[in-house]
Amino acid sequence: MGAEYVLEMKGITKRYGENTVLSDVNVRIRPGEIHALLGENGAGKSTLMNVLFGMPVIHNTGGFDGEIYLDGEKVTISSPHDAMLKGIGMVHQEFMLLPGFTIAENIKLNREITRPSALSRIFGRNLERLDMPAMAADARKALDSVGMGIDEYTLVKGLPVGYMQFVEIAREIDKTGIKLLVFDEPTAVLTESEAKQLVSVMKKISERGIAIIFITHRLDEVMAASDSITILRDGQVVSALKTRDTSIVELAELMIGRKNESMISVERRTLDPNAKVALSIEHLAVDMPGEEVLDVSLDVHEGEILGIGGLAGQGKVGIPNGVMGLYPASGSVSLFGEQLELNNARKALQKGLAMVSEDRRGVGLLLDESIEDNIVFNAMQINGDFLTTIAGMHFKNGRQIREHAQRMIKELDIRCTSPLQHTGTLSGGNQQKVCVARALTMKPKLIFVSEPTRGIDIGAKKLVLETLVRLNREMGMTVVMVSSELLELRSICDRIAIVAEGKLVDILPPDSPDADFGLAMSGIKPEKGADGHA
Amino acid sequence: MLKMSLSQRIAVIVIAAVTVLLIGTGAYGLVARGGAAGVAVIRDLRLQSILNTAGAGSVEAYVEAAKAEATARVRAEGGGMSEIREASAQAEEEARASFHFEPVDLSTVDTTDLEVAVNNLVAAQRDYYEAESAAQALYIEEHEDEFRAAAEAQVAADSEEEVEMVDMVIDLSGFVATEEMLALQAVVDERFVALKASLMTIFPDLTDDVLDTLKPTLLSLTYVSGDTFETQYDRYVAAAGTAHQGGLLYFVMRNGSNLLTISVGLFILTLLVLFYQSLVKKLGLPRLIIGMFFVLLCLLAVLYGLSLPSLLGNTIVRLGMNSVLVLAMLPGIQCGISLNLGLPLGIIGGLLGGLLCIEWGFSGWPGFLFAIAVGLVISSILGYLYALLLNRLKGNEMAVTTYVGYSIVSLMCIGWLVLPFQSPELKWPLGDGLRVTLGLQSSYRHLLNDFLSFEVFGITIPTGLLLFMAFCCLLMWLFMRSKTGIAMSAVGDNPRFAEATGISVDKMRIIGTTLSTMLGAVGIIVYSQSYGFMQLYQAPRQLGFVAASAILIGGASTSRARISHVIIGTFLFQGVLTLGMPVANVLVPQSTISETLRILISNGIILYALTKSGGASRA
Repeated sequence: MGAEYVLEMKGITKRYGENTVLSDVNVRIRPGEIHALLGENGAGKSTLMNVLFGMPVIHNTGGFDGEIYLDGEKVTISSPHDAMLKGIGMVHQEFMLLPGFTIAENIKLNREITRPSALSRIFGRNLERLDMPAMAADARKALDSVGMGIDEYTLVKGLPVGYMQFVEIAREIDKTGIKLLVFDEPTAVLTESEAKQLVSVMKKISERGIAIIFITHRLDEVMAASDSITILRDGQVVSALKTRDTSIVELAELMIGRKNESMISVERRTLDPNAKVALSIEHLAVDMPGEEVLDVSLDVHEGEILGIGGLAGQGKVGIPNGVMGLYPASGSVSLFGEQLELNNARKALQKGLAMVSEDRRGVGLLLDESIEDNIVFNAMQINGDFLTTIAGMHFKNGRQIREHAQRMIKELDIRCTSPLQHTGTLSGGNQQKVCVARALTMKPKLIFVSEPTRGIDIGAKKLVLETLVRLNREMGMTVVMVSSELLELRSICDRIAIVAEGKLVDILPPDSPDADFGLAMSGIKPEKGADGHA
Repeated sequence: MLKMSLSQRIAVIVIAAVTVLLIGTGAYGLVARGGAAGVAVIRDLRLQSILNTAGAGSVEAYVEAAKAEATARVRAEGGGMSEIREASAQAEEEARASFHFEPVDLSTVDTTDLEVAVNNLVAAQRDYYEAESAAQALYIEEHEDEFRAAAEAQVAADSEEEVEMVDMVIDLSGFVATEEMLALQAVVDERFVALKASLMTIFPDLTDDVLDTLKPTLLSLTYVSGDTFETQYDRYVAAAGTAHQGGLLYFVMRNGSNLLTISVGLFILTLLVLFYQSLVKKLGLPRLIIGMFFVLLCLLAVLYGLSLPSLLGNTIVRLGMNSVLVLAMLPGIQCGISLNLGLPLGIIGGLLGGLLCIEWGFSGWPGFLFAIAVGLVISSILGYLYALLLNRLKGNEMAVTTYVGYSIVSLMCIGWLVLPFQSPELKWPLGDGLRVTLGLQSSYRHLLNDFLSFEVFGITIPTGLLLFMAFCCLLMWLFMRSKTGIAMSAVGDNPRFAEATGISVDKMRIIGTTLSTMLGAVGIIVYSQSYGFMQLYQAPRQLGFVAASAILIGGASTSRARISHVIIGTFLFQGVLTLGMPVANVLVPQSTISETLRILISNGIILYALTKSGGASRA
């Protein structure tokens, strides 16, 4: 021991091909310190942890630059197993427990305490008997240290989610020689009281001299638990500071903060706050895996561009998917005062809603069909456009389709060889434009645009955003745009709703301070945070 | 400008040069063969071979004479039987030793008389053979039905084998020569007498008797029915001895048309190498290989003297008879159940339709339409139930369809035994159950094939069959352009997309599967009317695989198919099989290599397509 830092990562740089995801990242952690790692989605937190654990994904893509020191000694971590041997443990976000085994067995899995038996004398160590009482005693000790009073012989199956998290932690603590524990979003699945308990357990662990890296996006937990903080943004360390020197508002600002650049210049306007409500969502809950919506109530005014923002997995994408009937939803939605039947995609489309899906290749396109067929598909199937009727049968009207497709290709500037090109062969940006064209062909009253710029290059991003603004300004279409890129939302939206943990946190004007957005994204209503700050 | 690698350029230049060379020599050979040189070659060879034959005959005549003399002498001396034999053998030995036959050198003999005699004989023989083949053709036409009936009885008797086409066996045992033929025969005999005379002037030893014994040999030497330059050349060279083959010019003349055939092949090869990249891009490698294989088989058929028109005619018939079965794959692929290997389900429906048609004594067009109608009704019910099953087992379609196909065939093996059909045409003569192979003579055999059929370039075009195929394809094309058809294709392409548009995925899959099964029913009726038989029990089991591999050869994937894939695929697949069998039988006589080839191609193609259907490699 004796070294000042238990872990030092120096100048970590990682590239995936041309794409630099970490550049010159430095992190230093003292023994017994709780160190929070903060950042938006894609800021580089996971990659940094993958580097620390020597994950194969890092080695398979050309390794990384930089050095790692454990207790002041330079080390090379070649695999997660190697990391474990060197005293680095991880508490996973999804639990890695065997449901049919007892808590004690899970804690001692692969590190069982054994006693020689008749068979083992002949066939070797692998056939030794388990020393259950010794294992139970060890497990008891570990469980006590995380403050769990539960019987160590209980089966893991049927335990509440929060308990499983603690069993997982107990298992890591039970490992001898553990120096550093990484908690990856440990509170995401916990109730509020469980989260509080976790924080106190973390403090207890750190008192034993074990350092903790705490990855989360919940700023209040960071403030409550951590000693020091490193904030990552776009693969760079923006700030490394002591928790006692900072405030929640400053953290939010640092996490979100961008230079005040706008992607496109849109002149600000003030909308009549009493404008007619186009879409009214009340107590919407959507069961979309990974993007669950718990309870969202929201009004969209006619003629506005409403942004829905928030971190990934918080439920913002679930809102349009639920309204459009793609995932099971409950609650009440009305469009221009008319009640909308949920869980019925056809009805939603017929009522004049349209959606550009975030999952272009999965839901948004027929990749093996031509551009023109993709563009007119919905209008043909829902509205019965582009059809000619011969002897009671509806056939597609090739000429009309071609004319319309060519107009759309010109208007949206879809780069293609002909309207007959298959959409599977287009670039991401052009695919997105085809999706937009299809939604427009429906002549919708309100259009949902979900993650319109995901996976497309910067030029195409601009074009898509400009198209949305034009639709809104020139054709008076009401637009609801869902995006993880706050910058985009702030450049074109009139109001921005922030969703966290399946609930609407607040609706902010686009020119609100960075801090407000940062706080909202971590689930804190800005007024509260601002008050606390003041 | 075409983009080509260096090796490609070199290959093109070399192959093109060889092609030009071959075309040049081949054309020269053909021209020379038609001109004076060709006539001279044939004349010389023919005379030489006649002289050789006659010369050999004259030796025999001398030997016979010597033996007769020795025998007479010994007998006159009063010798016993053993002495006579001994003397005769001795005389033969001496005669052969003293009269050693040297092949006659044409230039040393005056052959003017002989040549005239031979030419006259050849002309007379040609007249005779022409008359004979005309008379025989007439006879065959008159008795065609008998031959066919006999052939079909044969097929029905050994129905264990899977035969796809019935070959007529022509039996000329009842043929009687006509007056005209007899008259021409007399002319031939007369001219042969003249030939004998001129031969005897050249070989004084020859006797009338010897020449009479040589008559069949000589006649078959001078002219054979359907003689061409090649056959005459080969025959004369064989008779005259290899010494008279006569150098490169002769070779070029003999092989002129073969050289041209090979150069056609090389020309196609040049084009292939030249446009390799764009062809591969447009057709895909497997189609290119199969297509080239088909061209190769055509060329081999020509080289080995097989009748290309009749083979191509067979290919067209097979295209027509299989097309509807292959078309049945299309809605299945488009609606997302991938290859409908449960096609036997629809086939069973069609077979039941055909059986009911025979049972109730329908025939001709009403019978055909009745069979189709009943087949459609049965298969639509079966197809609907099958679709419900497939909707419950999404994601495992390939396995489920295969098992359904096998199970229904096995189930119906029991079914065919217990179904209460009464018609003696259908039942075994003794006991219960339906026969394995049922002739359709009484109902709708060749109904479509013979409708408006005509012959062009020696290829019989089964107009009705092709029209029916076109009609089915047209209906399918219209359906795929309809609102429902488009929705169905979307479900097959991307079910989640379809759901997002409010299309019921299950409903569209039911439509596609049912349609596929119904087409299977129509397909087997078309197939059996062309084949002339319905085959029950195990026979339908393989048809699903055959249809699947055909559409895959045509360019379809397991998730996307078009009507052009159906037609191209059926043509290539059936074409390769139709040409492959006779060519393989020439190359490796007495083998079952063609059958092996068939199984190899059809299953190999399915396997290939499955490796390509991962979907992850989508651009």
